[in-house]
Amino acid sequence: MSEQKHIIELKYLTKYYKGASIPAVDNIDLTIDKGEIYGLLGPNGAGKTTTISMLCGLFGPTSGNVFIDGMEYQHSAEKIKKIIGVVPQEIALYPSLTAKENLTFFGHMYGLKGKYLKERIHECLQLFGLEKNANRRIKTFSGGMKRRINLIAGILHKPKIIFLDEPTVGVDVQSRNVILEHLKNINKEGTTIIYTSHYMEEAENFCTRVAIIDKGHIITEGRPKELVTSKEEYTDLESIFLHLTGRALRDE
Amino acid sequence: MLRLLSSIYKELIVLIRDRAGLAILFIMPLVLILIMTIIQDATFKTVKESNISMILVNNDNDSLGKAITDGLYESNFFQIIERIDGEKITEEKAKELVAQGKYKIGIIIPERATEAIRGNVNALINKSFKSFNMPGMKKRTKKSTIDITIYIDPATSYSFKNSVMSSLKEFTSELEIQMFFKNFSQALAQMIPDQQPIEFESFETIKYKEVYASKTNDEILPNSVQHNVPAWTMFAMFFIVLPLAGNIIKEREEGSAFRLKTMPGSYVTVMFSKIFVFLGVAFAQFILMLLVGVYIMPALGLPQLEIGPHKIALGVMALASGLAATGYGVALGTIATTHEQAATFGAVSIIIFAALGGIWVPVYVMPHTIRIISQFSPLHWGLNGFYDIFLRGGDLMVVLAETGKLLFFFVLMLMVAIVYNNYNRAK
Repeated sequence: MSEQKHIIELKYLTKYYKGASIPAVDNIDLTIDKGEIYGLLGPNGAGKTTTISMLCGLFGPTSGNVFIDGMEYQHSAEKIKKIIGVVPQEIALYPSLTAKENLTFFGHMYGLKGKYLKERIHECLQLFGLEKNANRRIKTFSGGMKRRINLIAGILHKPKIIFLDEPTVGVDVQSRNVILEHLKNINKEGTTIIYTSHYMEEAENFCTRVAIIDKGHIITEGRPKELVTSKEEYTDLESIFLHLTGRALRDE
Repeated sequence: MLRLLSSIYKELIVLIRDRAGLAILFIMPLVLILIMTIIQDATFKTVKESNISMILVNNDNDSLGKAITDGLYESNFFQIIERIDGEKITEEKAKELVAQGKYKIGIIIPERATEAIRGNVNALINKSFKSFNMPGMKKRTKKSTIDITIYIDPATSYSFKNSVMSSLKEFTSELEIQMFFKNFSQALAQMIPDQQPIEFESFETIKYKEVYASKTNDEILPNSVQHNVPAWTMFAMFFIVLPLAGNIIKEREEGSAFRLKTMPGSYVTVMFSKIFVFLGVAFAQFILMLLVGVYIMPALGLPQLEIGPHKIALGVMALASGLAATGYGVALGTIATTHEQAATFGAVSIIIFAALGGIWVPVYVMPHTIRIISQFSPLHWGLNGFYDIFLRGGDLMVVLAETGKLLFFFVLMLMVAIVYNNYNRAK
């Protein structure tokens, strides 16, 4: 059993997809402390989604271990799923349902019900400026509004850990600011956030710690400011990213 | 329980709000069942009822030609066409019209056909009375053949051609016997002094009594509606596979399935909610089809559907068929990666299941190997069960075996979906 001072611990985590000769994730060792905003950064195909998927329990590793709050999916999947919230990159909502109906459904899936659920939905919609649109169908929402509802569906049950996969992709500056501001507030209340993004500037300002992954390995890891000041040629997180992962185009 | 109920509610809202999809789910099977029953109704009618147009070219101008012509008119089997635009049709013209597909059948009675048949009768009389050496007896002994040519449109279906030909042969053979006896009696009268020609009277010595074997005393008459409503209802119910598989794929593509898999509770709960809702749709389709058979079809001139006394058996069969269809939909939606795959494979496989199941051609006329394969079609089990109830008066005990097979298919499909899902997660 892992020590519980780290809320997330990856031990020699390796994942080979069936038929692949190269691992998607190769021997990753990583610990994330409670209350951190941890950024997983990397080019396309670096292994970010595979790592996040294993952290969410979608599939298991080929070898190594994933500990979430000291528990492993093999033994405590239900307990882990109750304390995590996942915000996928896709708008994982039902377009023909209203915002309220979507949130009620996902709330029920987390075991929330009755007055508490109603109040929580109202609170979240108000927090993200969507209370007036509660009874509108998702398919009529703008991209930014959909992103915000997508986020609410993952935090409704007040999870200990939130996994965010590109939460601000394709949204306007206003929506992005609202999303990041509220995520910071949630984090201040003690929630740990694991976040992936292609926006380096956003990650630099938002994350307390980042890891740059490429070809399944963590190539560097640390606090954004410390990384930027670690070498003279580094001006910001993007320059580190390009220096370490190269300028060649990456396809999936 | 909360998760299951909430999933069912969500599925219902998604389904109800997709009005086009909902209309397709109910209107398309209704249109299908009506059209197929009306079309198939024709094959249940006799040739007489169909009143098919037929060209008749009578080149005989004697008693055989007259007898066939009069007989065909009186039979009312066919609508006889002898002239077009006031002109008598020739053999060449008849052949051309049939070849063009304007008429399905053309009958040509050759010249001197009566003369030939009389010659044949005389030949038989000669042979029969040779030993009597009677005066006035003609010396003709040679038999000649009468070739009545029947032109048939090549596009005519084999079964239709056979049914017309058998009706025609039955009719002409009776006519031939009448002609034969009439001429025989006339010839005999010529040979035997004071002998008056015998009046030939046709009568049937053997009669067939058709009784449909049924378990109930109330005989349900097989007709197009009794055959087609269960057959096409089964077919339509299985088409629920397509929207169900599409629903699963859509949920996966939109990312909701991903989110649901990261939530507490088993994803199987979500699947069961889909099964529950789509089973309800299949059952509603079934009820709608029965109502169409009972109330709409008679208004369209078709026979009324007789539901019979075993309504519990009918309900159980409908539920088992619905479960088999939804199970297949879940398996298809889990395995197929795109809507195109699910739609193409789903539709084609249902048509194959239906063909093997005997929806179009009865299983008992299929080749031996296909008959064996057809035993593995869920549509065959379903259709057999419905025929047991609708046509053979079977009760719940009679359809238990078919119900069991359909439920086994449902469980098997769920297992396939679960195993495939686990295999995919382990990749």
